Amino acid sequence: MTAISSDKLMPSPPAKRWRLHRLPNVDRKRRMIAYGLSLLIWFILVGAGLALASFPVKDIAIRSISATLGSSYGLQQTLTLAAPLILTGAAVAVAMRIGIWNIGGEGQFYFGAWAAAGVGLFLPEGPAWFMLTLMAAAAAIAGAIWIVIPAVGRAYLGISEIITTLLLSFVASFLVYYLAAGPWRDPVVPTQAATARIVYELPALDDGAHLGILIALGAVAVLGLFLNYSKWGYEVIIAGANRDVAVYAGIPIRRRIIEVMLISGLLAGLAGMIELTGVVHRLQGGISNQYGALGIPIAAVAGGSLTGVAIVAGFFAILLNIGVSLQTQGLSVHSVLGITGLLLFIIAAAEAAARFSFRRVATS
Amino acid sequence: MAELESATIPSPDGSANPPMVEMRGIDKSFPGIIANAAVNLDIRPGEVHALLGENGAGKSTLMNILTGIYQPDAGVILVDGQPVSFRKPADAIAAGVGMVHQHFKLVQAFTVAENLHLGFRETPLVVSRAILRRRTEDLEQRYSLKVSPEAPIYRLSAGEQQRVEILKALSRGAKLLILDEPTAVLTTEEARLLFRVIRQLTADGFSVVFISHKLDEVLDISDRITVLRSGRKIATVLAADADHKMLANLMVGHAVTPDSQQRPQTAREPVIALRRVTTASEQGVCGLDHIDLTLYSGEILGVAGVAGNGQRELSETLTGLRPPTEGSIDIAGADVTRSDARVFVEAGIGHIPEDRLRSGIAATLSLTRNAILREYPKAPLSFGPWLREKAARTFVDALLKTANVAAPSVTMPIRNLSGGNQQRFVVARETRVATRALIAAYPTRGLDIAATETVRSALVALRNAGVAVMVISEDLDELLSLADRLIVLYGGRVIGERQAPWNRDDLGMLMGGRVDDRN
Repeated sequence: MTAISSDKLMPSPPAKRWRLHRLPNVDRKRRMIAYGLSLLIWFILVGAGLALASFPVKDIAIRSISATLGSSYGLQQTLTLAAPLILTGAAVAVAMRIGIWNIGGEGQFYFGAWAAAGVGLFLPEGPAWFMLTLMAAAAAIAGAIWIVIPAVGRAYLGISEIITTLLLSFVASFLVYYLAAGPWRDPVVPTQAATARIVYELPALDDGAHLGILIALGAVAVLGLFLNYSKWGYEVIIAGANRDVAVYAGIPIRRRIIEVMLISGLLAGLAGMIELTGVVHRLQGGISNQYGALGIPIAAVAGGSLTGVAIVAGFFAILLNIGVSLQTQGLSVHSVLGITGLLLFIIAAAEAAARFSFRRVATS
Repeated sequence: MAELESATIPSPDGSANPPMVEMRGIDKSFPGIIANAAVNLDIRPGEVHALLGENGAGKSTLMNILTGIYQPDAGVILVDGQPVSFRKPADAIAAGVGMVHQHFKLVQAFTVAENLHLGFRETPLVVSRAILRRRTEDLEQRYSLKVSPEAPIYRLSAGEQQRVEILKALSRGAKLLILDEPTAVLTTEEARLLFRVIRQLTADGFSVVFISHKLDEVLDISDRITVLRSGRKIATVLAADADHKMLANLMVGHAVTPDSQQRPQTAREPVIALRRVTTASEQGVCGLDHIDLTLYSGEILGVAGVAGNGQRELSETLTGLRPPTEGSIDIAGADVTRSDARVFVEAGIGHIPEDRLRSGIAATLSLTRNAILREYPKAPLSFGPWLREKAARTFVDALLKTANVAAPSVTMPIRNLSGGNQQRFVVARETRVATRALIAAYPTRGLDIAATETVRSALVALRNAGVAVMVISEDLDELLSLADRLIVLYGGRVIGERQAPWNRDDLGMLMGGRVDDRN
């Protein structure tokens, strides 16, 4: 019956073949290599694309580098852009730790800028350091207040914070448009839909960038310390990973959710103050420059890690800066957006690819 | 065992028919693990072939290779004597190999008929409810398997869902049906029904591979039994020639010592007391109904009863997860009725929850983070508001050692551990906390013999150290061998309380709700 004799079927000398397999754990080094490679691939793709469209690739590359990191002006621009991005990125990342999506960084940013502007415009004059501290505090508190309703709704009623934070963003944004164009409008230059110039400015650092970058990095460092090394941070992470386990361990989940969301709003609000006193100096519509929204992809690419947020935000700042410089060199806004999107996509792909590895195995 | 290794078993009817399916020299390894090494297996037409082995013995990997989910690193598969290569599950299905997974692959919101026709080559292009029903009825008839074509899956019991899975496999032309721990999710009655279905299928010429680690049912249903251990085939034996002891020894690799450690006499003091405790009932599940219960130090209290009679509520009430709506709880004289889980842990109450993956461990977090879950608020794991990383590392290493779990890294997510190892991990963690009492819900469910043994001896050791232990189990044998005292829950009440010596019939009647007239 058996058509084939059994010795024929015994495995012949095993042939070696490459096989893809999934790693149980991805270490930092591997991930860094993946990011490095994704950058390289991006450079090649963008370079090739620009070359095909007969842009002067070399020129563009040189100018892009000098516009971001290669010159002191460029570096200063990059750091100035990075400051609010680090804060809004951290705002989203800290909420991610407890499984919450704060989509409304824009709103908290606006409301924070509004509160800081109010302090700067209407309180009696004082020494700059004092007034700036007051404005920062007002902005942080305002940012936190702007997320109180979503936080309580989420913690006690289970209302999706994704929707509430997002919708409140529009409210804050329109509120600022209304004030800047209406009641708070600059009486001296009424043609501009903005408030009067706020006299208090964040002090400049040596190279021309303002203090905001240090405030942002400091805030993120303190937060990271608490999240990673305190009991509170541990409880947040447990509650974010598995609610049932948090209940089992006796962790007060609702309190932690509210605390984390308030901190999240506070960070975004502070970003609003930094942008106001460091760059724009007037409250005006569109002051957020999308920083609040950009916090979301920054935190997502950083995988919720705060160190990651600082790095990725810096990276986004470079990217935004390159975008501006590319536009001055004849690329359309859409091409710039496309190029930025491509990078995000490649990074996300690299992140996934880092989980896999090739291995040589014997096959039949 | 060497003589069994090479034993050639004649086919039951003595004929020289080629096996329906044969696997030769199968090797498969994963990072750090050899899942299968040189495994041979042959399945004859019309037989029930049991695949027996502990968790992690390589049963699932071998079957995943046979169904085309994994490709072997080496070895060949023959169907009807012809070598085949399954590159994807569809290849295996086309060759007549069907599998019913332990966790069913059905769309909950779809009806039985819809599930049967989902991704089915023979599903007509245009379908209607009526067409699907008619086709399903035809299938029911062809394979004499009753299902309810129009019922949505979520309405069905586990046994009924399993029948849908079996019918799905048969309708796709399966001649060999692989059942992965099919009775794990079934009640006794449903299991009996399944066995009837299996016998009928084999009578019709189908073959069945029956994966299990329950010796009773393996001996009951199968014609031949292949035992795997650590990825290797240890033996294939005729069920008729096998008995419990022999199979257990083959599985574990050493003689298994049966239970019954005698308890030392220690002072018996009340540890936790429930007085007239009532909990809210939800969605048809009854809560506790005015329960009076005291757990004593140095005693194992067994809780018997059919699942759903208040077991979950009882264990949650005793660990602070479910505050009672009426009545009071006290621990060593202090009232804790309104306290949360943290207070219970600090009072020395450990808890092995009924569903460890859902509420005992955070699957995506590291071993270290899961290890310190119960003790992080205290020194040495923390200092003021700060956690101490070094102390945590020492702690997790010690815990893994006690739990007898080998892990490549303490930073890897705990979901990378096998189910048995996760349970050992939880048991070790909770044992540390349980200085007064341990509430263990189904502590050995889903565990293999070796892991069951370690868990049981941990419970006994705790009892001997003077801790009050409560074990909830649906396995009466386990309760009888462990418990010093036994209560039976029925409808949220303690319907009876018994001391050894036990009378099984009496306990069975209590579990069925027959009123206790002895007390």
